[in-house]
Amino acid sequence: MFKKPPILILLDLLSIVLVPAALILILFFTPVEAVMGPVQKVFYFHVSAAWAGMLSFIIAAAAGAGYLIRRDLKWDQLSLSAIEVGVVFGLIAILSGMIWARPIWNTWWVWDPRLTTTAIMELIYLAYFILRSGLATPEARARLGAVYAIVSVITVPLTFFSIRLFRTIHPVVIAPSEGGSGFNMSPRMQLAFFISLAVFTVLLIDLIWNRTRLAAAQAKIQMGEN
Amino acid sequence: MTYLQTVWQVFRKDVQVEWRGRQGVPVMLVFALLMAFLFNFALQLSPDLQAGLAAGLLWVSLAFASTLGLNRSVSLERENLALDGLLLAPVDRSAIFFGKAWSNLIFTLLVALMLLPVFSLFYGQNMLKPGLLLVILLGLGAYTSLGTLLAALSIQARTRDVLLPILLYPLALPVLIAAVEASRGVLSAQPLGELRSWIFLLLACDILFTAAGLLFFETILEE
Repeated sequence: MFKKPPILILLDLLSIVLVPAALILILFFTPVEAVMGPVQKVFYFHVSAAWAGMLSFIIAAAAGAGYLIRRDLKWDQLSLSAIEVGVVFGLIAILSGMIWARPIWNTWWVWDPRLTTTAIMELIYLAYFILRSGLATPEARARLGAVYAIVSVITVPLTFFSIRLFRTIHPVVIAPSEGGSGFNMSPRMQLAFFISLAVFTVLLIDLIWNRTRLAAAQAKIQMGEN
Repeated sequence: MTYLQTVWQVFRKDVQVEWRGRQGVPVMLVFALLMAFLFNFALQLSPDLQAGLAAGLLWVSLAFASTLGLNRSVSLERENLALDGLLLAPVDRSAIFFGKAWSNLIFTLLVALMLLPVFSLFYGQNMLKPGLLLVILLGLGAYTSLGTLLAALSIQARTRDVLLPILLYPLALPVLIAAVEASRGVLSAQPLGELRSWIFLLLACDILFTAAGLLFFETILEE
């Protein structure tokens, strides 16, 4: 039952190869940004990590809905795994952003909408683990965890929107520009950016899948104990 | 019994319990007042700062004080297995949610109404304005809907009483931000039309969190 499926092995290998490859691409292939200098290169992994984090929280909510409909603990294992991996990616996004902000904004942290929303998102999903740890049965953890994952995914965009109504200083890279391409980046930067996004998506799926298998194994061991 | 009658019965029961015991509203009120004093010392408020901060302080006090009432409204049902009795009743459970959410709304509104004159005195400005009352109604409506839902959720955990604030504050943040901004606007005499995006955001939260209660209350309480 716990033999690794070939696709997952392939994903593992792809992640191991692609992440360093993307890093090499970013370090040596992309141009150095004119104003900000080399520190701008944080951007590629920073945005990719933020994207992966948000994607995983959406996966978690969808898996939560799956559990509430099907009542199969498999869905809960997926939901939990997605949130766990998502929290790590969120943390990477925040920390890499801070590394960029220190020379550019001259401070580690500002109370900017995106930064604040991301930090709150992390807190919301940290509370998810506290909620689960207080619940006695796997069934209760799955049921209440699913409700919480769904409610959270509704409030995060609301929070973002509400703080966004204030003025933001966070750079907006993907926005209508004079050139009409929609990206304020050179072609090489764009290429590296999209490759980073793709690589992080592969890495995300690989990590969530592996973590879900771990959760399934844990559940099996606990069933054996009882 | 129709759906609305069920809602009314649950609501009436909660109001009756509160009226006879008076253990929710006074506790919240005193707590909120204590917060006002703590802020005064913690933030070293000078008179010119106070006016601008009054809206924020009002909402933080209300948000913190409400968790006491929300926790109590659900933990009350655990005493003498009252919750089992409620759940055994052959009624739609979302009706129980509405009854409880609305009784919580009434209690927190009462606290807010009593706080306003006191804050008006403390922070040297008239806070009894119709616009502010509207913002408070919308804001507390969304806050208590979400709070009732999350209180029912956290009551099932071992860590029940401490869990609610951790779940509620970050999720209720859009409500609090919009409420604070709208209140600040009203207090600085901006017309309501200029604050419409905040008011709409509050309305959206009201609708979304009420829908969440309607949808998930049954799931949360099933055993």
